[in-house]
Amino acid sequence: MTVVPLFELRGISKEFPGVKALDDVSFEIRAGEVHMLVGENGAGKSTLMKILCGAYRADRGSFFNNGEPVTIHDSTAARKFGIAVIFQDFTLVPYLDIAQNIFLGREFSSRLPGFIDRRRIHAEAKRVLDMIGFDIDPRMPVHGLGVAQQQMVEIAKALSQDARILVMDEPTAALSDRETELLFAMIARLKKNGVAIIYISHRLSEVFALGDRITVLRDGRNIASLLPAETTPDQLVTLMVGRPVDTTYTRPSRPTPGAVVLDVKNLSGPSGFSDINLTVRAGEIVGLSGLVGSGRTEVARAIFGADRVTAGEIRLFGKRIGGSTEISALRGMALIPENRKTQGLALARSVGDNIVLAGLRKLFPSGVFVPRRAMKAARAIIEKLRIATPTPRRPVATLSGGNQQKVVVGKWLNADARFYIFDEPTRGIDVGAKAEIFRLLDGLVHNGAAILMISSEQIEIVHICDRAYVMRSGRIVGELAHHELTEANIVRLGIHQ
Amino acid sequence: MSTRGFSLAALPVARVPGVAIVLVVLCAGFGVTSPGFATPANIANILTQSTILLLLALPMTVIIMTEGLDLSIGAVLTFASIVLAVTVIATGSPTLAFLAALGVGLCFGLGNGVLIAVFDIPPFITTLGTLGIAQGLSLLVTDGQSVVGIPRSIEQIYSGTAAGIPFPIIIAALAYFITHALLYHTRFGTYVFALGGNREALRVAGISVRGMLIRVYVFGGLMAGFAALLMTARLNSAHPTAGIGMEFDAIAAVAVGGTSFERGNGWLLGTLLGVIAVGVLRNGLNLLAVPSSVQVACIGALVIVALFIDGMRAER
Repeated sequence: MTVVPLFELRGISKEFPGVKALDDVSFEIRAGEVHMLVGENGAGKSTLMKILCGAYRADRGSFFNNGEPVTIHDSTAARKFGIAVIFQDFTLVPYLDIAQNIFLGREFSSRLPGFIDRRRIHAEAKRVLDMIGFDIDPRMPVHGLGVAQQQMVEIAKALSQDARILVMDEPTAALSDRETELLFAMIARLKKNGVAIIYISHRLSEVFALGDRITVLRDGRNIASLLPAETTPDQLVTLMVGRPVDTTYTRPSRPTPGAVVLDVKNLSGPSGFSDINLTVRAGEIVGLSGLVGSGRTEVARAIFGADRVTAGEIRLFGKRIGGSTEISALRGMALIPENRKTQGLALARSVGDNIVLAGLRKLFPSGVFVPRRAMKAARAIIEKLRIATPTPRRPVATLSGGNQQKVVVGKWLNADARFYIFDEPTRGIDVGAKAEIFRLLDGLVHNGAAILMISSEQIEIVHICDRAYVMRSGRIVGELAHHELTEANIVRLGIHQ
Repeated sequence: MSTRGFSLAALPVARVPGVAIVLVVLCAGFGVTSPGFATPANIANILTQSTILLLLALPMTVIIMTEGLDLSIGAVLTFASIVLAVTVIATGSPTLAFLAALGVGLCFGLGNGVLIAVFDIPPFITTLGTLGIAQGLSLLVTDGQSVVGIPRSIEQIYSGTAAGIPFPIIIAALAYFITHALLYHTRFGTYVFALGGNREALRVAGISVRGMLIRVYVFGGLMAGFAALLMTARLNSAHPTAGIGMEFDAIAAVAVGGTSFERGNGWLLGTLLGVIAVGVLRNGLNLLAVPSSVQVACIGALVIVALFIDGMRAER
């Protein structure tokens, strides 16, 4: 073992308020290898990569470049060591051409001061594009390119800055099969040129097809470093899951499910899901699981009437609905979106204002706003959901994440919603407050409401739900009854084999 | 979004920008309705009268491409014009007066840029404020009266010709080519696209976003100073309300020309056509003796029609 790694991280720890994101993680990358980084959502992969590229600073730990101890305190330092990240949201300028994007900020000068040598920029860009085998005219503006092509431009941009270590975060997530093949061919070419690649993936087939080595993270710890030849997909899944159960919340007994509240049949839509069948009964929490990008949010939005549907039908309490969020809300459906700050709350307004927002018609049938009545309704909800605020007049922005989430729920409770769709209800909420959110969901179903809950954290689904559907690539690939509901089963169904 | 039935996208005109269609339709319409329209003298007149607007619309295109706005540009022109007139009368030096006008433009551009880039005040608010300041200063200096008694040398900048081409057209053509070179062949221009398209990309590339933004507004101020020279020469005086509403015409011309207010999508040639379209519309309506209040409404309608055509094109 005399190989000196190209770059090495040793004993990295990083803590965020309430969460230990990374705990003594070591990681090394060698020239010309594809190093797979796997783990569940929240295992710490992104945090580790952000530390590597200088976006975050580690609390503890050291870095070694070619065996020499170094420090990375910002992205400039990381770039100096040849580390480049291909971000999911690209840093491209839509109305500049490919070549100008590749050399943005490093334009070749012409003889006139301030002027750029466009011809040379295009020629150099062509050279870099040829190097990765991307056959395209560098004069094409970027806004007309597809996701795969934009990704290629990002990679070319990184390579033109002499990157030796490329970090790719689920690069095939938005690619077709054909585009994926091209990407893999390019990766093979880069390897030959001695470029090291850190590849984050949820697709087991990729992990085994591409990887030279595999590192598994779980709960912020480095669980295993493996060679693909010496492991099996099943072993890998076992290593990825198997977290100790969160002990702050115990699932109470649930009422026997009542009548069917939501009945979706053969639903397909242009936003990327097809042939969706699912039911939710009164008094039931049903999970909708699957990887990010598997189409869960799109299905939820379509059910609520926010996105277009091309086939199938949605029945709420036996009546057909669809296509209109107003009608869905009037009939008692509530969507609690993933991003409560931009989609669920009027952040600048008070807690009380937010609570009455969706029930204005019920509270004030004549159309005249009566502050006293609004206050009373808001106080009732605050008490019922135990929202921690001294007064309804307090701006909602000053509340904690968990309490903001309660305000969003309270808004719909006040509007007499009977069917709730929660999209990642615990996103951005610290661990302690999560149990509080779960109790809130419990309370809703105990009063006869029905809930469809989307979550990327399998443990949550297992924990709270009575049943769960698992999605993959826009389709429901399985339904797990309560006794089958385990993390391993969800991961097995949700991952591309 | 989908539309059924008739769509312009199905016709071959789909590839022609909205502004070109609007311009052809306007010229054809006025050519038929007013006999005086399609004469060489009138066409030269339209082009000459459009030059001042072009000097404002060019930097406005650049500013709007950065997802910004400059409402103060007409008022700055006015104040620069007054300073120019007062200076030339006081000192007798046209050069000094012109430099003073440029100085006014530079100060306001720098002020706008610093407020927007460094203090993060939204462009709309910042330039609305400086519009008020410039307008107030104009009224203060002149007491609401015109400044008259300007030497003939200044007036000739507007009325003179070289090789049969009016001076203003030469100045405007130069301004167009300089802006074109700036936008498409310099670092500055490349970063203008990035300011509107993806500021993060610029930051990652190690370019000062603030510095570039300030330069963009300084460019606007300086061009208003140049436009003040033409305006003063044209009126042979300076008037404290001469530039009122010119920011409206400039923004309208940019919008008609197809520059989008998002993502750094701009088109300089479109702005030139947009300026000419506004000029043709005003001239044609004048020939038809339409009151100027109605003309403003027509320019508003022009913006909507041009963007409607562009929107139909993009539909597919």
